[in-house]
Amino acid sequence: MKRIIHFVLMVFILYAGVNVFAASNTILIKNGTIVPVKGGSISIGDLLIENGKISKIGTRIKAPKGAKIIDASGKYVYPGLVAVMTAVGVTGYPGAGNDTDEVGTSTPHMDPYDAINPEDECIEVTRLGGVTTVHTVSGSRSVINGKSVVLHLEGNLADKMVAKRYVAQIINMGAKEQNKYPSTQPGVVSFLRDKFNQAKEYAKKKSEKDKKGQKDKTKKDKNDTASPAKRNLEMEALVPVVTGKTPVILITQDEVSIRNALEIIKEYKLKGIIRASSGILKYADRIAKENIPVIWAGTTGIPRRWEPFDLNYHTAAVLAEKRILFAFDPGGWGLGNRNVRDIPTSASISVAHGLSEKEALKALTINPARILGIEEEVGSLEVGKTANVAIWTGSPVQGRSRVETVIIKGNLIPMTSLQTRLYEKFKKIVFERMKKKK
Amino acid sequence: MGRRFIVILATIAVMAPCVWTQDLALKGGTILTITDGTIKNGTVVIQNGKITAVGKDIKIPRGIKVIDVTGKYIMPGVIDSHSHIGLTDINEATDPVTPQIWMWEALEPGADSIRKTLAGGVTTVKTMHGSANVIGGVNVTIKLRYDRMVEELIIPGVRQQLKMALGENPKRLYGSKGRSPSTRMGNAYVARKAFIEAKEYKAKWDKYNKDKASGKKDLTPPKKDLRMETLKMVLEKKLSIDCHAYRADEIVWIINFCKEFDIDLMQLSHCIDGYKVADIMAEAGIFYGGWVDWWGFKEEAYDGCPYGMQIMHDAGVKIVINSDSPVEGRYLFRMAAKVLKYTDIPENEALKMITLNPAQSLELGDRIGSLEKGKDGDIAVFDKHPLDTTTKCLMTIIEGEIFFDYTKESITAKGGSR
Repeated sequence: MKRIIHFVLMVFILYAGVNVFAASNTILIKNGTIVPVKGGSISIGDLLIENGKISKIGTRIKAPKGAKIIDASGKYVYPGLVAVMTAVGVTGYPGAGNDTDEVGTSTPHMDPYDAINPEDECIEVTRLGGVTTVHTVSGSRSVINGKSVVLHLEGNLADKMVAKRYVAQIINMGAKEQNKYPSTQPGVVSFLRDKFNQAKEYAKKKSEKDKKGQKDKTKKDKNDTASPAKRNLEMEALVPVVTGKTPVILITQDEVSIRNALEIIKEYKLKGIIRASSGILKYADRIAKENIPVIWAGTTGIPRRWEPFDLNYHTAAVLAEKRILFAFDPGGWGLGNRNVRDIPTSASISVAHGLSEKEALKALTINPARILGIEEEVGSLEVGKTANVAIWTGSPVQGRSRVETVIIKGNLIPMTSLQTRLYEKFKKIVFERMKKKK
Repeated sequence: MGRRFIVILATIAVMAPCVWTQDLALKGGTILTITDGTIKNGTVVIQNGKITAVGKDIKIPRGIKVIDVTGKYIMPGVIDSHSHIGLTDINEATDPVTPQIWMWEALEPGADSIRKTLAGGVTTVKTMHGSANVIGGVNVTIKLRYDRMVEELIIPGVRQQLKMALGENPKRLYGSKGRSPSTRMGNAYVARKAFIEAKEYKAKWDKYNKDKASGKKDLTPPKKDLRMETLKMVLEKKLSIDCHAYRADEIVWIINFCKEFDIDLMQLSHCIDGYKVADIMAEAGIFYGGWVDWWGFKEEAYDGCPYGMQIMHDAGVKIVINSDSPVEGRYLFRMAAKVLKYTDIPENEALKMITLNPAQSLELGDRIGSLEKGKDGDIAVFDKHPLDTTTKCLMTIIEGEIFFDYTKESITAKGGSR
């Protein structure tokens, strides 16, 4: 008898397994309010996912054979949120596990891609909050910090998670050193000028050598005199920045560093992005005119004594009004902040203080996607885009809204994390102990 | 020191009723009473700083200033029982045992942090010594009467709480200086040694006072020690304890420690692992003080778990949401809304976490934390339900006096861009 039960069970498990596998490619979300962010909402709509992409959006979509159907009646379907300036994947465990911020004032060659740990617990915790794509940086404490990478929060290997590499170089305009150069804001600026000048020189020399090498090769000179330029990895990492190929995120702290950043962008014709946490409104008109995207990390910051209490709360509304492309950055406690899932709080506060909900949602989805150069792939619900989708019980700007379903690259994500496991474990322990006492 | 403090409190008690109270009525709003349900289109009357009427169809006494709050939401002023606002200094980080420090001597009523916090509907905070020392200073519970005299801020008659801190902070600070404590064992030793010394000190003074009372002559009083004076007050239960403890083992340790020395532990702050020992906390009647969803910002915070609030709630732990910072202290109501995201705890219970529960953790449950007849007229007015996170605070009232008015202080209201 036991054997028969085992056999039936095995068959059932195998069948279920195959079924899940077959269904993972095709998912139909039915009867939800579809909020695509770009374009209007559909109040009772369907969204079909096939082969990792969004293949259809509309009403009464017929379920393809074998499709997994998710009933989203009364629920809201949003694109996965996109978080900028995170350390997801490189923070590791507290203490020895942290791989952000290599030592050195100039480390542009550091690449977080080399340290992505797919088992970072922060990945699961973050995606359960509806964040499906993150921008992970190498650090923020040095003047020139390094490269950055965009990850989808799904996949067991770093390579499977990577959506885009060499997204932007990270520079901190306020990373003053202690007891060594550069220890002042002007010091930081001239340090940068030196590095950028060297990089331009390096690029020029390299292209001359390359050209010469080419010429010599065409001459078929057997005694090839054009030895390749001695490689300098630091300079190699800066060349795409000074030639305007790779964007650069300039971290600022105040109006002084914002002005310096704007000047450096102009002077070196950088593809600049300003990350600001205060003082941005003074330069908003110039930023709008010069068409520079902003990563706004200051919503929860405290204005200065003489400033109104809601200056920071209201800033996003002004950025939107001036048609500046901006994204929310949770800010919080900086790069080591593991609470990336909390980005909607900045949006909530901004909506309370003048930003429209529509613009707030854009600043959590399509705007960061545009800033990171991945707007063709994610950031909105559109046919052909990667299926990064979350089903919510309400708007993300409502603190109480829950995320019930997360789909990344068309894969249904198990709704478990370190924290759900801790909850299950200790619920049992605590209540069993209470029972015994009774 | 203790006596001086009591004198100050006595002065406040005498001054309090006559100086700053005002009469005020709020009419037409949705009243979230916390203890007695929601009243739509209700009225709250404050006279002499106290609530004299709450309900529907209330007759407003003549001559009272009336504010029409039709369509708005009224709740008790928000209470933050772990804050560091309004202080010129936070940590006397020179020794692991500094109970001679009284935080009201660092209180700056004109501090901007108080003004900015008022804008979040907050009326009462316990502003605290930091976590550098195993035994820190005595915290001070204040009403946010911005820029008034110190005596007007300190709440008269309240039992103040001594700050203790376990775990990584004292370990790191003193360990990095090559001093003890550098381990959790060291933290435990430091605390135990101090309280054993305090017991001996108290015994000496008790004997002296007894002898003196019985008329013995030629007595030499024991030597005064300011550190011991404070700990003696703790042993006499004139002060209670708020202990910073992240890890479950530390939570259990401090509960046992306070039992051992028969001292009153009121609140555990930054109580990240509280859910793991919820039954033990509930049995001991200790308040959980902490955040909703912060986690992993350091090793002892790694197991932070917002779902854990459900375990604590079901086990009967009283939960208090704290800011610990001038940042989140300005929007604790948004933090309370997140409780609804991660648990099935009812709305009113979430609101209690920023009103009645912290009031009780400060032993002020009969004076603040709900809108009831006879309680202080501390009120926050919101434009939407306070658990709707797109809401904002419009007015903050302390004992009938308006301390924050959105229309006067907001740049958004003025439509300005800079």
